[in-house]
Amino acid sequence: MPDPAEFDVLIAGAGIVGASVAWHLASAGLRVAVIDATGPAAAASGASDGAVSVASKKPGLMARLASESLLYTRELSTGGPLAGAFHARPSYVFGSGAVEMSALDALVSKLADLTGPVRVTADGPATLLPGLGGAVDRLVVLEGEGHMPGHKAVRAYLSRPGITTIWPAPIRAIASDSNGVTLDLGHRKLRGNTLVAALGTATLDLFPALPIQPRAGQLIVTDRGPVDALRGSLTAASYLVAKTGSGDQLPLPPVVIDPLTTGQYLIGSTREAHGRTDQVDFATLKSLLSRASQIWPALLNRRVIRTFAGVRAAVADGLPIVGAMPGQPRVLMATGFEGDGICLSAVIGREVALMVQGLAPQSHWAADLAALSPARFENTAQKGAA
Amino acid sequence: MNHHIHWQARAIPFQTGESVASALQRAGIHQLGRAPTGQALAVFCGIGQCQGCLIMADGQVTEACLQICRDGLTLQPLDGDADV
Amino acid sequence: MSDHPILIVGAGLAGLAAAVELARQGLPVLVIDQAQAIGGAVHRQPLPGVRSTATGAQAHRWSRLIAEVQAQAIPIRCGTRFGGVDHTGAALLTGALSTLIRPRAIVLATGARESVQPRPGWTLPGVMTAGAIQSRIKTLAEPPQGRVLLAGSGPLLLAVGAELCRLRHPPIAIIEAARPLFNPASLTLPLPYLTEAATYLAHLLRARVPLFFGAHLTEIIQTNGPLVAQIDTRKGPRNFAVDVIGLHDGIRPNDAGLTNCDVIPTLRLGDCREALGARAALADGFAGGQKLAAELLGTTPPSPNHDLQRQRAAQARLARIYAHDGLARLAEIPAETVICRCENRTLADLRALGPAPTARALRLDGRFAMGACQGRFCAEWVGRLSDLKAPPKPIGAARWPSRPISVADLLTTSDPIEKETK
Repeated sequence: MPDPAEFDVLIAGAGIVGASVAWHLASAGLRVAVIDATGPAAAASGASDGAVSVASKKPGLMARLASESLLYTRELSTGGPLAGAFHARPSYVFGSGAVEMSALDALVSKLADLTGPVRVTADGPATLLPGLGGAVDRLVVLEGEGHMPGHKAVRAYLSRPGITTIWPAPIRAIASDSNGVTLDLGHRKLRGNTLVAALGTATLDLFPALPIQPRAGQLIVTDRGPVDALRGSLTAASYLVAKTGSGDQLPLPPVVIDPLTTGQYLIGSTREAHGRTDQVDFATLKSLLSRASQIWPALLNRRVIRTFAGVRAAVADGLPIVGAMPGQPRVLMATGFEGDGICLSAVIGREVALMVQGLAPQSHWAADLAALSPARFENTAQKGAA
Repeated sequence: MNHHIHWQARAIPFQTGESVASALQRAGIHQLGRAPTGQALAVFCGIGQCQGCLIMADGQVTEACLQICRDGLTLQPLDGDADV
Repeated sequence: MSDHPILIVGAGLAGLAAAVELARQGLPVLVIDQAQAIGGAVHRQPLPGVRSTATGAQAHRWSRLIAEVQAQAIPIRCGTRFGGVDHTGAALLTGALSTLIRPRAIVLATGARESVQPRPGWTLPGVMTAGAIQSRIKTLAEPPQGRVLLAGSGPLLLAVGAELCRLRHPPIAIIEAARPLFNPASLTLPLPYLTEAATYLAHLLRARVPLFFGAHLTEIIQTNGPLVAQIDTRKGPRNFAVDVIGLHDGIRPNDAGLTNCDVIPTLRLGDCREALGARAALADGFAGGQKLAAELLGTTPPSPNHDLQRQRAAQARLARIYAHDGLARLAEIPAETVICRCENRTLADLRALGPAPTARALRLDGRFAMGACQGRFCAEWVGRLSDLKAPPKPIGAARWPSRPISVADLLTTSDPIEKETK
């Protein structure tokens, strides 16, 4: 007989998704432990640009979820756990050339269809944003999105009383039965009634059957300077193509220029099919910086102080994996967000907390959430790509 | 010492080949401005490692201890024209 | 690839010695240095027309090395900054020589940095490292203006003090945390160490410089006038009003932001790998150059270098002689003391992260080691203050650039690699 459960819920992974799930469950009065191999926000959440963006999500399910999560994030930031972590700010998407133009058309119509919290407030020439350089044919200005550095949100969520944090503690093995789950942490075993696996790229180590692929992105950080006219992220339409498209060759570098509250800029980002955080190369950075400084010439007065690569957990079909593992009803997955975890974490945390408690989602979410279930990978061969 | 660099409105003589940091030190100028963090900028390591002596030299951010003086070089604190 | 040069970063003793060895074997080299002249920190050269302040032994060591450098016609580019080497083996150079190159191998010989323990007031203008004062003396044969106080720990304090005496500008006092003269083990140091120390002491005593051993500078205050240094001596508190304070608590490898590269041989030589001082750097440079040449040419590697081992033993002895209780004082500094100079982060900010913060939390939540100096001057103390018992660890992985690079410089860098691959 296994030992009695020490916790109602074990959460594997102290990234933003695990932290949000933990906060929601603790708020419901459950005893929660968060276990991480390294520590809080140690992987994608800590390396992210913090964009809470609907614009960058695929039309349909992902854009609907992002809209809902943005609204809920705003709610949680008004006197809730995310106060001080989330800030509303405008965002700008620019483009030049035919491919980027049609990506902008798609963006505008997607946002119109959503009738969500994100509105196009201006759509026109580069002169809409003072300080923008040449080489921009069209600029779309959005209101309603925001910025939430992953590490701040994780810290905010996990500071709630009732959450036990355990790190550094790599999980050696997971054993689940009909009554609960046991984690083998090497020096000790941990027993809970339910496990939520929010492991990001580390999902591969413990659930190798799931089709998760690491996807690296190179980023650049500049020195501090005067906070200038850029109040929100400036995103190349080719970045939307990279995130939502079929993986075709991009016409122009997929640049995102993010003004940080420190007066620094964070400039990204590529999407590369590997999981190496030490692979940052001059040629790629030069190409990102070259376009970035044409778009925002103030960058030419800055210095690069650091470069790094972050690794996101991508899923073969481009959708995250959320829900109970087939045949392991005590194990729930919440992973594979591929850089969208910052935006989706609020709503995913809420919904996974409901699933853990055996409660039904709000009816209009049932179908969307069902589409994210890991059950979709059963018999993939027969069904074909979902 | 017939040549000068210009620190804000002040002409400062220098010795051929010396750094901006050492010419300013000789002129009794220790504080070189304030960083965006509020920290006073001043020579600390003196050999280009610490980033503590950043100034604007002809419009570019650079280390005062690595920047070599040349006649007419215009220097300003990072935080603009504040009299330091 | 074999015509690509071996890139040597740093034209000090280690870098030049390695260059000489490699060139002797017929291997092409390129030496760069961010300073305007060769010499590194130890052999920083005087400006044209300025008399050298080097001692006889230093001048002799340098002229022998330079004769070799000239005999081998080693190409050296000063005013050139090393941005780093990426995982493809491309190295970024900016400044006088602005290019991406793909060297056959890299020798990192970036020397040492000074270690300076945080104290209240150590960020005030006029407070600098003792090395900064020394570097001014070497280039200009000129002391800083006004009254100078030297404080901290290590032989460099006596050396700089003696140099100031020779310029007829003796320091107001030297505050040394250790008590090296009272330690009988001092006499077991190699003779060159002892004669060097005796020369320094002779200058200092002749100029009647007050030497406080077993004393600590605990705080620096400034209110519209001079810097006032509060000193905790063995006989009670003292204070000194001065214009310039030179702090120094030892030397460490200057290796912040230096990454290794898997695709080409990368070697760290001299103080950049192990801060053992000038004699060891020279020996290590020659030995490292021989070792790399053997690796590249497929010849027999040289036998282990006994010079280096001797210097390592001598430095270990020196460290024991200079042992003091300064670290215990680190734990007692006031909470508002700045720890990270770049990001202006205090001990209180560090404590706010809770017990045993992870490297990620130190960086992201604490913003320690996140500034423009890449943690060179704070990481050591952040590590110690987070866990006084454990030896300090780096805070997160090294990430290039090893020093800030202007975006404009990076974009105007010529890119022969791009042409090659097209």
